[in-house]
Amino acid sequence: MTAPMQPAPDSALVERMMAGDENALSTLYDRYSGMLFAVLVRILKDTHAAEEVLQDLFLQLWRSAARFDAKRGSLPAWLMVIARNRAISRLRGRERLLVQDDDDGFSMENLPAAVNLEDEASRAELTRKVRAAMAALPEEQREAVELAYFEGMTQTEIAARTGSPLGTVKSRVRAAMQSLKQIFDDGTTRQSGRS
Amino acid sequence: MERHVNPEDPDLYALGALEGEEKQAFEAHVRACAQCAEALAEAQQRAAVLGLAADAAPEPLPGVKTQLMQRARAERAQGMARRAARAVETRRQSWWLTPALGVATLIFATLAGWFWMRDSLDVERIQVLENQLALAQSQSRDIARAADETDHLLGMPGTMRVSLAAMPGVPMARAGLLYNARMGMVLCTGELPPAPKGKIYQLWLVPMKGAPMSVSVFAEMGNRMTLMGRVTPGVQAKAFAVTVEPGFGMPQPTGPKVLVGAAG
Repeated sequence: MTAPMQPAPDSALVERMMAGDENALSTLYDRYSGMLFAVLVRILKDTHAAEEVLQDLFLQLWRSAARFDAKRGSLPAWLMVIARNRAISRLRGRERLLVQDDDDGFSMENLPAAVNLEDEASRAELTRKVRAAMAALPEEQREAVELAYFEGMTQTEIAARTGSPLGTVKSRVRAAMQSLKQIFDDGTTRQSGRS
Repeated sequence: MERHVNPEDPDLYALGALEGEEKQAFEAHVRACAQCAEALAEAQQRAAVLGLAADAAPEPLPGVKTQLMQRARAERAQGMARRAARAVETRRQSWWLTPALGVATLIFATLAGWFWMRDSLDVERIQVLENQLALAQSQSRDIARAADETDHLLGMPGTMRVSLAAMPGVPMARAGLLYNARMGMVLCTGELPPAPKGKIYQLWLVPMKGAPMSVSVFAEMGNRMTLMGRVTPGVQAKAFAVTVEPGFGMPQPTGPKVLVGAAG
């Protein structure tokens, strides 16, 4: 029996993009646009704006593929961070500031290194776990994290929005993020080393 | 005993919620403290996956990808042009470095100038040819892919052919498409005038029952418009239509029809 053909790993597709292969860009778009679009729509609450950011994001990837180092981390996690940064910047009118601070958002500085989002099955499993973990959080902890992640609020802004002391906001965020830590503890979400 | 950052700070920083002096102090400390840098890396892992908590969204409109690929292709061609232009400029700068001493140098400079002009013209010609080659290669890949898809569709049982005719007042427009309902595959190619600025041509499948379904948006391939799209398999088509829509296309038709064709 013939084994099913393995999809090309991200690292190979990035190398092909650097050589000018448009099909590699097309494949990466098909692989990750859905995941990224969901985040963008959630943050921007506007599908048209989300589509603009999504297209610009992949165009920037096409231009800046050489900046990605597969040995240092996961491409989809990197794209997720950049997508979120760009959406928050657009939401809060901080585009210019972000570009100055973060070299157009395509810095490898804050690259999440060991999250396996490349494989579709692992991505679906991780999505299920993250949603379950978020749903299990106490309401006030979930709210604090969501205001920070999806609204781009600072701790002071979260305190003002929720009417809670700053120290309480800090504690809530910390407790929520520590709860999410268990997702990574079983090892199944780690990068498989494919790329 | 060494003092580290507050235990909340790595997560707050990873979420972008730390601000002001606290943020600056955190960054300064992490640069010098391996233990806190590791705590930050772990926090960034957690923050990176938070986006997965977003509810599933509908797929982005097909025009987003179509325009992305067009922009990527155009930038590639521009990149090649820039590289060629830099080569020309380098030659111009090299010319000024030519030694200029006495009559011999004057003769040499005259000859060098002549060669430079000849080489510059050659490089500019190469630039134009490279651009044309890049575009031709890209278009030939698309055409080959379209030909493969056409063969594939024609070979499948149940594939129907539909001719789309121009609506009154739309000159020089026509298209033909292949549709396989079982596979949900559509391949369409035609001649259309350039879409108005900021607009795009979008193909719709009008089912026997229910609202029109977006198939995809057209991409320019040479002097033709082509489209390869998919719809939900099993939908029986009553007709197909092409409309002019804004931006990346629309979830439902809003613009004027330019082409229509009855299925079956």
